[in-house]
Amino acid sequence: MRASLPWFSRNAIALSAVALSVGVLAACSSSGSSSSSSSSPSSSASATSSANATPITIGASLSLTGDFSADGQAFQKGYQLWAKDVNAAGGIDGRQVKLTFLNDASSPNQVVTNYQTLINTDHVNLTFGPFSSLLTGPASAVAARSGYAFIEGAGGAPSVFQTPQNQADHMVFDVSLPVADEIMPFVNYIASLPASERPKTAAYPMADDPFADPPVQLAEQKLSALGVKTVYSNVFPAEPSSYTPQADNVAGKNPDVVILGSTDVPTVAAFMKAFETNHYTPKWFVAASGPDQGSAFISAVGAGNADGIMVPNGWYPGYNNAASQKMVSEYIAQYGGSASGVNADVAEAYAVGQVAQQAITATGGTDNAKIIAYLHSGVTLNSVQGPVKFDSLGENGASAAFMFQWQGKGSKFVQVLPQGASGTIAIIKKSPWGSS
Amino acid sequence: MSTSTDMVSVSTDEAPGAGRRSSVLKAAGLLVLAIIVIAFPKVYSNPSVTNYGVFALIYVTVASAWNIFSGNTGYISLGMAVFYGSGAYALGAAASAWHFTGTSAFALLPFAAVVGAIIAVPFGLIALRVRRHTFIVITIAVFFIFQLMAFNLSFTHGTIGMNAPFISWPSSGYNTPFYYIALAIAAGTIAIAWLIRRSRFGLQLRAIRDDEDRARGLGVRTMRVKLSAFVISGAIAAMIGSVWFLYIGQVQPNTGFDPLFDLTIVLMAFLGGYGSIAGTVLGALIVEPATLWLNTQPQFSGGYLSEILLGGVFLIVVLFMPRGIIPTGGEWITRLRSRGRPAVIPATTIGGPKATGSVSATSIGSGSPGGAR
Amino acid sequence: MAREISQAIVDGILIGGVYALMAAGLTLIFGVLDIINIAQGVLVILGAYLSYSLFTKAHIDVFVGLLITVPAMFIIGVVIHWAFIRRLRGTERTSMTLLVTYAVALIIEGILYKVYGANFVQINAPSTNQTVHVFGFYIEYIYIYGFIMAVALVVALYALLYRTRFGRSVRATMQDETAARLVGIDVNRVAALTFGIGVAVTAAGGMVYGATNSFNANSGYDLISRLLAIIILGGMGSLGGALGAAVFMITLESVVTIWYPTWAVAVFYAALVLVLVFRPNGFFGQKAVRAQ
Repeated sequence: MRASLPWFSRNAIALSAVALSVGVLAACSSSGSSSSSSSSPSSSASATSSANATPITIGASLSLTGDFSADGQAFQKGYQLWAKDVNAAGGIDGRQVKLTFLNDASSPNQVVTNYQTLINTDHVNLTFGPFSSLLTGPASAVAARSGYAFIEGAGGAPSVFQTPQNQADHMVFDVSLPVADEIMPFVNYIASLPASERPKTAAYPMADDPFADPPVQLAEQKLSALGVKTVYSNVFPAEPSSYTPQADNVAGKNPDVVILGSTDVPTVAAFMKAFETNHYTPKWFVAASGPDQGSAFISAVGAGNADGIMVPNGWYPGYNNAASQKMVSEYIAQYGGSASGVNADVAEAYAVGQVAQQAITATGGTDNAKIIAYLHSGVTLNSVQGPVKFDSLGENGASAAFMFQWQGKGSKFVQVLPQGASGTIAIIKKSPWGSS
Repeated sequence: MSTSTDMVSVSTDEAPGAGRRSSVLKAAGLLVLAIIVIAFPKVYSNPSVTNYGVFALIYVTVASAWNIFSGNTGYISLGMAVFYGSGAYALGAAASAWHFTGTSAFALLPFAAVVGAIIAVPFGLIALRVRRHTFIVITIAVFFIFQLMAFNLSFTHGTIGMNAPFISWPSSGYNTPFYYIALAIAAGTIAIAWLIRRSRFGLQLRAIRDDEDRARGLGVRTMRVKLSAFVISGAIAAMIGSVWFLYIGQVQPNTGFDPLFDLTIVLMAFLGGYGSIAGTVLGALIVEPATLWLNTQPQFSGGYLSEILLGGVFLIVVLFMPRGIIPTGGEWITRLRSRGRPAVIPATTIGGPKATGSVSATSIGSGSPGGAR
Repeated sequence: MAREISQAIVDGILIGGVYALMAAGLTLIFGVLDIINIAQGVLVILGAYLSYSLFTKAHIDVFVGLLITVPAMFIIGVVIHWAFIRRLRGTERTSMTLLVTYAVALIIEGILYKVYGANFVQINAPSTNQTVHVFGFYIEYIYIYGFIMAVALVVALYALLYRTRFGRSVRATMQDETAARLVGIDVNRVAALTFGIGVAVTAAGGMVYGATNSFNANSGYDLISRLLAIIILGGMGSLGGALGAAVFMITLESVVTIWYPTWAVAVFYAALVLVLVFRPNGFFGQKAVRAQ
């Protein structure tokens, strides 16, 4: 076929060099600054107090497409709502907030590229975190190298705080509930029941995920110590051909309690469907994640079926907190729907903004080193998710775990545990499928 | 089409002086390229720019390694991620088991390559026995098996994945060493690919691509040849995968074994020119930085738009330049250059015995009766 | 234990039927046209979304809706082939189809994101929720319907391929494209129509998949890898093989799930590799009738 290549092919290498250099020059000149980077982020911005006009730029990479797109988009809405509220109130110390979002398509290469761009090309003042514990590791490493604080609301798995980078620099701050203890309110509730009313058996199906498994495993440990027999405890792959076989296995054992280590809505929906098929109704059904996504959950499972399903979280739309209520009503005003339809991710993102705002105000600017020191100083901050106080690892030690439940044929998402906490109403048992 | 190429190449450009001239041109071009590439991080030292360089070079390496096997033998492999991820995990496991901390972890790069080679042997022995179309799907199946092993085996720590040894370089000096390491590996890979192409081994590989049965009939030990290329390709991919692992700092089952990884490599190879070394390099240099860069532009980051755009661009390129940039570009240039030149040079104007090979070539090309085809 | 195993087997067979529905089109396309249609996963999702929209917006029953979605998907398939795939030529044609269909998949996925957003949905039609009590456990009717549809489809496609003139031209093209052209078969038209049929079939698969799983635009990726494994195991071009392979693999996975859920999926792929070692053409694949 190739007796002899045309000269273009023979000299392809040289020509590629030319083409490449041209391309690179073009890209570099268009992206603005190609000079040597500065590793200290805009400390100059805080120096001049009369820099009222300079906006505060904040950058974040989110999963707007890909596996986590439903959550990523909810997060974006949360960040945007916060910025809108802050700017409407005059900004932070008179400076308007300007957000930049980049899509990382749930890819670590992209998340690393995005944060390097935000920090070194766009020179943002602050960085907010991406969605998902799985992406937070590489992203926070980039931020840490440049001395940026990394405030986030969605990376709560222990693995996030155990990265060597965070252990060295301690600059990751998770404003949301650390996951390990989140099912404890349910355990405590079971412990509070008289022995005759306690469940006899329990099943613990868990998706293979560092976010979902620790709380379920802890719950299993505690509940078996209380005398609740484990009839099923197994980890299933995150993406099986179908959830039905394991859900059928669980249903076949007829446990009183099912604590499902789920990370997303489809898992919960599939288990619910299979339970319904098997005409099996657990007395209590707790899912680690999914039912807290508001209308995203209802649209997948159907309003009638949602009742009785419980989910742990640090926040819910009915939370009796002025800022939270305001955020919820603004969300409804902008996006429609009802209060119960608000995804918990929105609150997580909003809380990130609030924490950053308080830190900026307290330190008088956007100096990241000062912000990191401030956040580690043991101060308690406010957020729509409740109080925020960071321990040395960056986890929020002040957050309280609540258990929420759908009631009223999928119309109400209410707080049911801990008992006696303000705002708690009575738990309902799960009624048989199809009866509601 | 091929006849016109032959005609041009048999024309005066192939006079003795031209051969020397083109190799001088080629050497000069390579020198310019080398200088540009080596000086790049010094000139553009902003980390967000060198970051593109690092990823681009990583993918140049993987694509070139892919080309060493798939480009030469015609067996399209969608299993490079098997080696890439295995290299990452191998380095992670070795670093924690044998206590290689910090920058000493780089000493484990050859180990990752060895692991890749070891995996390639049984993988190749199983996969290379089947037909080409089945081969593609076997590579996909093995890929998923490895991804699932990463999820389930205890030493890989499941979904949490592994953290790389902590390299505490500061931001301004973090990307550049990775750039040079990746550059060295990429340059080595291209050199290996070039040497293979010029060698008898390369000839055997391409014979397999053209007609495997005939090659076997002519005495080529096809299984051995295919397997050797497969092993080389796998070892390189594993080594650069471990470099990626150190750069990102983490590997997880679905990032080390990413289903879209191989499709991206195939796209790079076909974009630049399937089978051509320079083409594969060019394809990687274009696709990887472009896809990364596209998502850093907020107007495209809105989600669906970038996907539609990406798909649209791929479609346009694949449909209108089906043989890739380098061959198609070559054809266009050739067509431009030979425009205006008559296809047939009448014998009368040349006259006499001076009618050398050029005349006979053109008269053959024009399809005159009895012309040897 | 016996009850669990029998339930797992029944689950596996029925879910295998759903996968066979989704794979049938793929094996036709791959076996006859040598096209690796990576977009098949996304096309299943598109079919699911179409059924979903018809059901929620126009309140059309999902089975009746097939009368609309199947022809619609057929047209989409023909258009995709005519616009993008028809022009591919050369020795590397199969790899090119891989890239082209990947690009098409990206575009379709982007459009689905735009139209439907990222939230998961599921088709919760009443007709799909009824269950039947048999062997001591329950089976959803939708799975039974899906399985029946899969079998009916295989039979129908066999009839098409072996009893009609069109089918004969398809088989001729599959065996030797040049010879088919020589006897006067319009190979391009046959190819476009076959591709269209392959895609039309996914409308049914999509409907059943959407009724039994929550999905969003991103769900297509998980599917395509399994579908490819199934058709290779069954033998490319063999419809019965696709059905058999789907049932076999999913049942295997389902039974292994009882004891080792996390390894069950690996078993799926390991089974493929093992079978291919001993039978490189799959269960029912034809011996190589044309050069690679």
